[in-house]
Amino acid sequence: MWNLFKKLAVGFVIGGGLVAIANSQEVPFSFQLLFFIVSLIGAMMFALLDAQTLNTMSGGKSFLVVTVFWVFLITVCVAGASFLPQFEPDDEKAKIGKLLEKERKQSAQGKTEELIARAKALDQQVKALEDRLKGIGGGQAVATTQAPTAGEKPAAAGGGGASGDIMKVGEEQWQLQECYNCHKLRGEGGKKRGPELDNIGTLLTVEEIQQKIADPKSMMAEGYDKEFQKGIMPDKFKDLMDPKELLALATWLGSFKNTAVNTPKPIKKK
Amino acid sequence: MKTHSSSLLTLTLLALLSILGVPDVFAQEAGTSVVDFPYTGNRTAVWIVAQLHILFAAFILGAPIFVVISEWLGYRKQDPRYDRLAKEVTKVTVILFSMTAVTGGLFIFVLLAAYPQFTTSFINQFYVVFAILYPALFITETILMYAYLYTWDIWKGEKKGRHIALGVLLNLVCLLILFVINGPTSFMNTPPKAEGISPQDFLATATLWDKIANQSWFPLSLHRIDGNVAFGGFIAGMIAAYLYMAAKTKEERAYYDWMGFVAIWIAVGGSLLQPFTGLLLAYEMCDYDFSFCPYMMADQLSMFFEMQGIMIGLLFLGINYYSWLSVKRIEGADNVRITVLAPIVLIVLLPVTMWVMNSWWIPDPMSLAFLLPLTLSPFLLGRFVPVTVSARTVIKIGFIIMLISDAVWLTPAGFVATGTDMPDEMKLPEGWDYLSSMPAKLSAIFTLVFVTIVNFVLYNRAIKQGTILWGKIDFAAQFVLIFLAFTSTWIMGLMGAVRSLLKKYFHTYSLVSDLSAESFTPTLSYSAGWITAITVFFLAVVTVAALIAIRPSVAKVKEPEGSPIPVPVK
Repeated sequence: MWNLFKKLAVGFVIGGGLVAIANSQEVPFSFQLLFFIVSLIGAMMFALLDAQTLNTMSGGKSFLVVTVFWVFLITVCVAGASFLPQFEPDDEKAKIGKLLEKERKQSAQGKTEELIARAKALDQQVKALEDRLKGIGGGQAVATTQAPTAGEKPAAAGGGGASGDIMKVGEEQWQLQECYNCHKLRGEGGKKRGPELDNIGTLLTVEEIQQKIADPKSMMAEGYDKEFQKGIMPDKFKDLMDPKELLALATWLGSFKNTAVNTPKPIKKK
Repeated sequence: MKTHSSSLLTLTLLALLSILGVPDVFAQEAGTSVVDFPYTGNRTAVWIVAQLHILFAAFILGAPIFVVISEWLGYRKQDPRYDRLAKEVTKVTVILFSMTAVTGGLFIFVLLAAYPQFTTSFINQFYVVFAILYPALFITETILMYAYLYTWDIWKGEKKGRHIALGVLLNLVCLLILFVINGPTSFMNTPPKAEGISPQDFLATATLWDKIANQSWFPLSLHRIDGNVAFGGFIAGMIAAYLYMAAKTKEERAYYDWMGFVAIWIAVGGSLLQPFTGLLLAYEMCDYDFSFCPYMMADQLSMFFEMQGIMIGLLFLGINYYSWLSVKRIEGADNVRITVLAPIVLIVLLPVTMWVMNSWWIPDPMSLAFLLPLTLSPFLLGRFVPVTVSARTVIKIGFIIMLISDAVWLTPAGFVATGTDMPDEMKLPEGWDYLSSMPAKLSAIFTLVFVTIVNFVLYNRAIKQGTILWGKIDFAAQFVLIFLAFTSTWIMGLMGAVRSLLKKYFHTYSLVSDLSAESFTPTLSYSAGWITAITVFFLAVVTVAALIAIRPSVAKVKEPEGSPIPVPVK
């Protein structure tokens, strides 16, 4: 036991020292906590290294100890994972909801239309039966009715929801396609993987921006040779956005003409 | 009896599925599922069954590699313990083979119930694999597996070579299965594509081979091969721990102590490669679509990787603690010494590797030009340096280095699961941010692996110079074995979830959207709960299988047959 206390004391001293250094450098509290916890784990590890040999157990005693050990492992794993910061699924749900809106509509619309078509077919059959019954009664010829197939759908309503303010749609696409992961704009986002875009409107026309998004290999930002060679910018956006959305994004980006920001010069490659 | 029980189990599962409303699936004509799994929801239901299936499959594909190595070692060293170990693990494998088949069938049923349209179209994409190749290989594997077990006592002595050859053949079929089934699995993450053509258009003209040999197929297969070897070893270690605890005699205890030791060292062999094949897989994924990278490392999944770092750090600490406890029971281990270069390299390795990786990022060969001579120097130049240090001191220094490496590995850019919305007060300040860079992470992994190798070298020296007292290991070692099995299974569950979540809101990335309301990234806390439940269930089944399969053979061994029970002391 004395060994454990001694090692823990050392752990506290080292951990405290690390926290003090980190604090003086304005390292956030969560990192300080991490360094402190690792120091304590280290202390416990060294206490285990120098611990007395555990005697062999068997039978019910070993079963009990193993059960307790399992409960400990389960608790540590579940609690440990819950202790870490959690991503908020609602943020993503809203994004995915918008991204899949059209597909979901098509799917739901398709189903509804099919149901309507079937209902219509049934209605026609009922009418036909009524006519036949009337015919039997009144000597009229039975009119057979061709049931509409499921394929005979009414024209799809609307053209996709890309109406409204084009700039708003463009900004929304910026968020939905997570362009900010690689590009900095208005001082936000970007991890130096792609160029800062605050002055892109001065350097490229809307059509050129559209072309770059649809075909990333069509031009390269100056100084981004390595990223261009690796093909870091995915060429999937033309498949993920419809032409209206692509145009909206390009138009919105084209409105950024902040010459104070050093957006690298685009070099045509195709 | 076993076939009977597994049939009963299958029937029960089918009955359960019918209660859950599977027949409704066939009644629907279009659209999404009409089945809603209670409590879990459809997506989690698929996840649970898929992960269980993968765990069983990983064991039955990994254990044969472990078994044949063990059998071959027994034959070469003429040590009957290896043969007994191999046979016992094979018996457990055969039982778990049934569980793999049951969970595989259940997986398909649940998938069909939850996502009928996608499952049908997916099977159509790979009908040659699902209807011909996979069943044919699985049946071949079954025949070989049973033949391997039942010829064990027939093909011995002079015919042992024939039996080992059968084991090798079994392994080749296992590997083939792994490569074949990884085709559709990896396809869902990285379907083949070509520049300038939409994925749908490319897929329409793609051959089966194009679909199988997608960008993440080979790295995933490599990662799973070494992962399965490690996994098989860790599970065998846990079985050894339980049987050690249940052992009634010194001889049994000596044997299961030895079994745990062999299992762990085979597992360590696989574990040392895992970080690098895992990195290769991540590299290929990011190369396929760079948006995977921020999703994994900075955004939704960043804390999943933080948790992975914690668990792998603990796994390495556990492996090396087991090594420490093993050295403690070697008489004469106190006299073992190693060149002073070893602790010096241990101390400088992390900062030097970080500097090298920052200057020449992989695959630049310059990084190897620095690191190879540095890491090999204790082994190549050690004999020319007269100053030596005791093994215990070096191992303790190794632990300090491991803890520092763990701390580096665990330091993220910020403690937030959304990298782009990270408030400044959560970010590492400038001057400290190198700790969160990829070169720093790779250096930490590299250092952890190197420390483990040094400990292995020291352990081997201790064995050569001292005497191992089998059965005298600290009882705490048995808990370490259980811990290692638990941790490795948990990590597999976590990374399985990550691989699947990488598809984001798609069933097949960028091709087939998941239109259900469940297509979002669940929280780490939620995921950890299920991963733990899956781990506990899997390990409980393995434990029962081991107790059923191995206990009778222990009873037989105890019978006085005239064959000496090996209680090897060097």
